[in-house]
Amino acid sequence: MNTERHIASAFDRDLEGVQALVVKMGGLVEAALSDAAMALEMRDEALAERVRAQDTAIDALEAQVNDECLRLIATRAPAATDLRVVLTVMKIAASLERCGDYAKNLAKRSLVLNKMHSVEGATGSIRRMARQVGLLLKDALDAFIHRDVELAASVRQQDRDVDQMYTALFREFLTHMMEDPRNISACMHLHFIAKNIERVGDHATTIAEQVIFLATGQLPSEPRPKADSVNMGEV
Amino acid sequence: MSVIEMKLEREVTADTIKIEARKVQVHYGQNHALKDVDVDILAKTVTAFIGPSGCGKSTFLRCLNRMNDTVASAKVTGSILLDGADIYDPRVDPVQLRAKVGMVFQKPNPFPKSIYDNVAYGPKIHGLTRSKAELDEVVESCLRKAALWNEVKDRLQSPGTGLSGGQQQRLCIARAIATSPEVLLMDEPCSALDPIATAQVEELIDELRSQFSVVIVTHSMQQAARVSQRTAFFHLGNLVEYGETGTIFTNPKDPRTESYITGRIG
Repeated sequence: MNTERHIASAFDRDLEGVQALVVKMGGLVEAALSDAAMALEMRDEALAERVRAQDTAIDALEAQVNDECLRLIATRAPAATDLRVVLTVMKIAASLERCGDYAKNLAKRSLVLNKMHSVEGATGSIRRMARQVGLLLKDALDAFIHRDVELAASVRQQDRDVDQMYTALFREFLTHMMEDPRNISACMHLHFIAKNIERVGDHATTIAEQVIFLATGQLPSEPRPKADSVNMGEV
Repeated sequence: MSVIEMKLEREVTADTIKIEARKVQVHYGQNHALKDVDVDILAKTVTAFIGPSGCGKSTFLRCLNRMNDTVASAKVTGSILLDGADIYDPRVDPVQLRAKVGMVFQKPNPFPKSIYDNVAYGPKIHGLTRSKAELDEVVESCLRKAALWNEVKDRLQSPGTGLSGGQQQRLCIARAIATSPEVLLMDEPCSALDPIATAQVEELIDELRSQFSVVIVTHSMQQAARVSQRTAFFHLGNLVEYGETGTIFTNPKDPRTESYITGRIG
């Protein structure tokens, strides 16, 4: 990582500014995810509504990141690491925006689920999964802040655990549905929630890969471990 | 456009080496201006030399057609082969060499002659044409290649110095290519031009690449990125990094190159 300053100090300020926006976005997304999972488990409608409302702020930040990057490219013609910072920041912002949408969707489904019988143990499992994914997201963003390739690589590895949690939940929901068809509605919602949280994990992996690209100039080549193969016949 | 086509677009058409420089050193008196430069300039390729002022890029460019011979204090060592033949061999006539390795300078410097005579001068003194008709043809084709013909065809007998700056520079390019050189050296050819004239010269450089090797020294990194397929970065008399232009500008290997192209050292 190049620690020298630009001769044009305004260039440094612009680059730092846009990175700060992404880090801020990351903080909001982490909070939205954990709040939404909490709202689901505690049946806290007010909290769920707050998560839904907060998503506008995340979207606005993404738009701001894109504007700033556009301006940076047009006015500064960034090269090498600077160019990678701009591209990476845009991609990370896009990933975070998706994660924000998933958190908002979780909050929305929690409001629906509040009107149904609870499925035993499900919301707790989902909250544990959300916490795990939130940690991955935090690590991916920390890796971005510190240009930490090792931490980014470990995020890629850990996404497998999330995939396994999802597969386990999938089987659990299937069992509940087979036991009692009245669970089907709730379990369908819960399943979408689990799948969306699993997608947040994938975005954390994408962010980690972008960090590796940012720091080394190359995307990681070796395939990451996967464990999300859901066998439909096997419960 | 498919991935394969895009790759082809970027690729250099010929991978034959036009100029092979080995262990080139230049001293101006006590000043060690260039240190052990090894580089292969490819045929039909635009090669850009970039680097801060005083890094040795112009010095090296001037070695390629022995312009440093005209500087009394300059001492050049090492070998520079043009198509495998040493250009510093005592039997080589520097004037003949410069007809093969043409040069365009930073400031347009047309001769105080007519537009026609500016271009005709080289072919005349080198005896490249046999008749007036043939000379007319050479002048027209060079002015066309330099994208100047349409602007000057009705006033070929007007003085070259009466043209605008951008036109004068294109006239100098027409003059440089009139002796059918194999290599064209350009030392900051656009630094005195406005953006439109710059774009015209850059377009011209890209067209000339189908016939010549072009070596361009430029302070504009964007220009180097736009026009060249190979880029060499010089710093303090050393050739720091030489490689495919896209790689140099997106993922340079040497931290000094990175610092320079991102605007961290001048």
